[in-house]
Amino acid sequence: MFDNVLSTMIFLPIVIGLAVMLIPFGSNAARRIGLAASLLVLLLGVRAYFSFTGSGQLEFAETRNLIETLGIAYRLGVDGISFFVLLTGAVLIPIVFVVVRDRPRAFYGNLLITAGAMAGAIAACDLVLFYIFWEIMLIPIFFMIGLYGGPDRRAATIKIMLYTVSGSLLMLASIIYLGAAFHAHFGVWSFETIALTGLDLSGRTATLAFFGFMLAFAIKIPIFPLHTWLPDAYTEAPAAATFLLSAIMAKIGIYAVIRFIMPVFGPELVHYAVPLAWAAVIGLIYCGIAAIGQKDMKRLLAFSSASHMGVLALGLFCLNIQALTGSIFQIMAHATSTGLLFLLIGMIEDRLQTREIADLGGIARQAPIFAFFFAVALLASVGLPGTSGFIGEFLIILGAIKFDTTIGIFAATTLIIGVCYMLWMFQRVFFEKGNDRTAGFTDLSAAETLAFLPVIVLILLMGVFPQPFIARIEPAAQNHIATVQATGRTSGQIALDHTLQQH
Amino acid sequence: MTSDLVFLLPLVTVTIGAILLMLLSAFEKIRIEVSSALAMGIFAVAFLIQLVPVGPDDVRPFVSLFNGILLVSDFTRIASLIIIACGFFTAMSSISYFRQNSFATLEFFSLMTFAVSGMILLTMAQELITVFIALETVSLSIYVLVGCNRRSVLSTEAILKYLILGAFAGAFFTMGAALVYAGVGSTGFAAITDAIAMGGLLQNPALAGGLLFILFALFFKVTVFPFHAWVVDVYDGAPIPVTGFMATALKTSIFAVLANVLLLADDIRGTWVDMLFYLTVFTLFAGNLIAIGQNSLKRMLAASGIVHTGYLLIALIAVSGDSFSGSVILYYLAAYAASTLGIFASLSYLSGNDEKRRDFDDFKGLAKVRPYSAAVIAIFLLSMAGIPPTAGFMGKLYIIVTAFQAGQTALAVLGIVSSILSMWYYLRLIIAMYFHESEDAFEVSSSRSAPYCAFILAACVLAMGLYPVAI
Repeated sequence: MFDNVLSTMIFLPIVIGLAVMLIPFGSNAARRIGLAASLLVLLLGVRAYFSFTGSGQLEFAETRNLIETLGIAYRLGVDGISFFVLLTGAVLIPIVFVVVRDRPRAFYGNLLITAGAMAGAIAACDLVLFYIFWEIMLIPIFFMIGLYGGPDRRAATIKIMLYTVSGSLLMLASIIYLGAAFHAHFGVWSFETIALTGLDLSGRTATLAFFGFMLAFAIKIPIFPLHTWLPDAYTEAPAAATFLLSAIMAKIGIYAVIRFIMPVFGPELVHYAVPLAWAAVIGLIYCGIAAIGQKDMKRLLAFSSASHMGVLALGLFCLNIQALTGSIFQIMAHATSTGLLFLLIGMIEDRLQTREIADLGGIARQAPIFAFFFAVALLASVGLPGTSGFIGEFLIILGAIKFDTTIGIFAATTLIIGVCYMLWMFQRVFFEKGNDRTAGFTDLSAAETLAFLPVIVLILLMGVFPQPFIARIEPAAQNHIATVQATGRTSGQIALDHTLQQH
Repeated sequence: MTSDLVFLLPLVTVTIGAILLMLLSAFEKIRIEVSSALAMGIFAVAFLIQLVPVGPDDVRPFVSLFNGILLVSDFTRIASLIIIACGFFTAMSSISYFRQNSFATLEFFSLMTFAVSGMILLTMAQELITVFIALETVSLSIYVLVGCNRRSVLSTEAILKYLILGAFAGAFFTMGAALVYAGVGSTGFAAITDAIAMGGLLQNPALAGGLLFILFALFFKVTVFPFHAWVVDVYDGAPIPVTGFMATALKTSIFAVLANVLLLADDIRGTWVDMLFYLTVFTLFAGNLIAIGQNSLKRMLAASGIVHTGYLLIALIAVSGDSFSGSVILYYLAAYAASTLGIFASLSYLSGNDEKRRDFDDFKGLAKVRPYSAAVIAIFLLSMAGIPPTAGFMGKLYIIVTAFQAGQTALAVLGIVSSILSMWYYLRLIIAMYFHESEDAFEVSSSRSAPYCAFILAACVLAMGLYPVAI
């Protein structure tokens, strides 16, 4: 099982998810099976963490040919960055199975399948394989929103599907273009990510291919002005799906920019860095302001999430080591804080059947542990010093100021805007006077407390003691920045020679 | 001569089977179920014969039969396999259909078998008169099949439209063949290739004009823009199994002929590459626009068939004569055939008495009542939309790879844009099936043959997507 640890982490949830859908388990049994599967994946991830050397090479690599004539292969492997993202997912997913109860078994099946496909997208080292997982992870989300979502769910499913599929199909064209370019240069087909970094692309087609990739990732992240699907999808989706979308799927968008765009399209990225950074800044301010006026907690959080994703995206386009380190750090920091907030809001909705801020109040008195956890996640999300969010956003803003002072100053406003809407919402929901509805609010059960606790600890730990994390991220970030700024596309050459020898 | 016959065994089997079925139905000695089972048996035998390689000669790239009138190669063999499989699954699913529709006639299966024999001949034909004979065998059988529900106004309208326009296409073809004969002095494909190699295509106006006429006739049959207008009404009016059969088997056989004609000489594609380019683009977008506007499922599938023709045209334009591009076309046809036949098999089972469930709205809430049927249909729709891990995705991947390889970047990108558009109408059905409450009890056909057929095809679609074969 451990020999193919990545394959197991991908296919164990998928297979069990399909089984849960097909075999008529009860709801509770399905949830427990899902919990067991996700814990097993977490266990494997932890086990892998201890044998992970951090050498900068791909570890736990697996290769199997799929279509030899086209060089398409089942290639998996993780390096520092992707392993980090993979573990984030593995840590967070078990919580859902503890917290979200009494749903049909297909719900849990869908969750498991998405979880597996997301792990696949993170670990894939072949662009076609990446594309396959990238598409598969969306299908269960589509069904979860449509089957278990809010009143306007149908419109939300169409919106999210059309947006993301347009992006990813154009990415498919770009992927095939890269393969064809590789074939034209070297006489063999390959879609291996490392090999493709050796391509010497230039001209209009390369720019188009760059935007093909960028569009797909910008929709997923989302970057202004491609964010319009997000408020509807996040609000209408059931809490578990929103959690997956915000905590993991959006982060895969960020990760994919680092993994695929930076090494292959370095010159194009340098060339378009300024307009892209502005798009991110406009998005983060716009979504922040939009969040202030929201009456629905979940919608408020959706805009907040979009705003913070703008900060993460900005970190990518500043093209310096501080900002990139900050972005990678923030992947985990934001995933834990936002993911938790969406789950906690889902619990409020489950218990009180409302998410309207005006209907709530005084929850802190009824449920102190719940309020405490909510506060920690919320403060991490707004970037209060001492929490994980501070470190990440601080590094990004530092990098942004270094990149362009104006952009940096605008980006820094996100901290103020974030505090405005978040604390105001917190005050109205948790303090102030309670009403009949909130009087019956029960606190977290022991199991739920236990499920949330590790993540709360992690948030605080990352905030107080970030050095071990940053030490692991920085070399990878350095490496990527060096690749982009060399722009001669030389660093891929060594890897390329290696690939050609294999053929 | 006798040794040549060995290669024709599948064709002979199907033809003899067809005659046998016709005789049996003439004397009304058998029931519908038996007739269907016999047809399935004939197809199964022919399929197995086709699968077995014939002697050591079989490894040659191709075998020319009867002085070059017919040709057997891997391409024709795989095309025949797809066609025979289409026949098999149509025969299988039509039993469910006829339980809910009273117009079943014994001739149905005989005619379908005749059509299949004509289609097999079409894939192999290397001479215009033979192509014409095969084409007419297919067309005549299908005209009758389209109109076999005599009491239905829609069906009558369909046959009238199809017959009249089809006759025009047939006339175009004959005209073209005559012109080619005038230009070359022969109707054999080899002679045409030689003539083009010696004098060039445009130096021989009779030949060029004749070939253009022939291309137009074939374009009519596979619904290339601007010859596509008939297809929506005809598919809508024809009985469900016949529609599925036309959409898959007929398309496969005509594309085999098209590939044969276009590959006669590089000059042919070279001369008309611009025309083919625009026809492809218009085919893709006309199909999408028509499909987006439909409320009826069959009409949507008909229009989406136009779009799939567009994808196949991309492959035909990008085809470079090597074995790879030929197999791209075949792979896509197989993927498309499996998904389309699967949907029509599901509809045969679910559409109710006299096809009463026709529109998207009629399938609202299907997933709540019949989860397995809905899941299977969803798989077919995702495959047609080209979403992994299905056969449709691999097919589309191959086509786009071929287009990029041939330098047809614009076509590749336009193909992608068109598949974004097509998401809309495939998703619509999934949303209707899954995200609405059911108002219908969805009583279904008493025969379970169509759902079995759909399950087998769904397994094929997933298997082709998960274990992509190297082609």
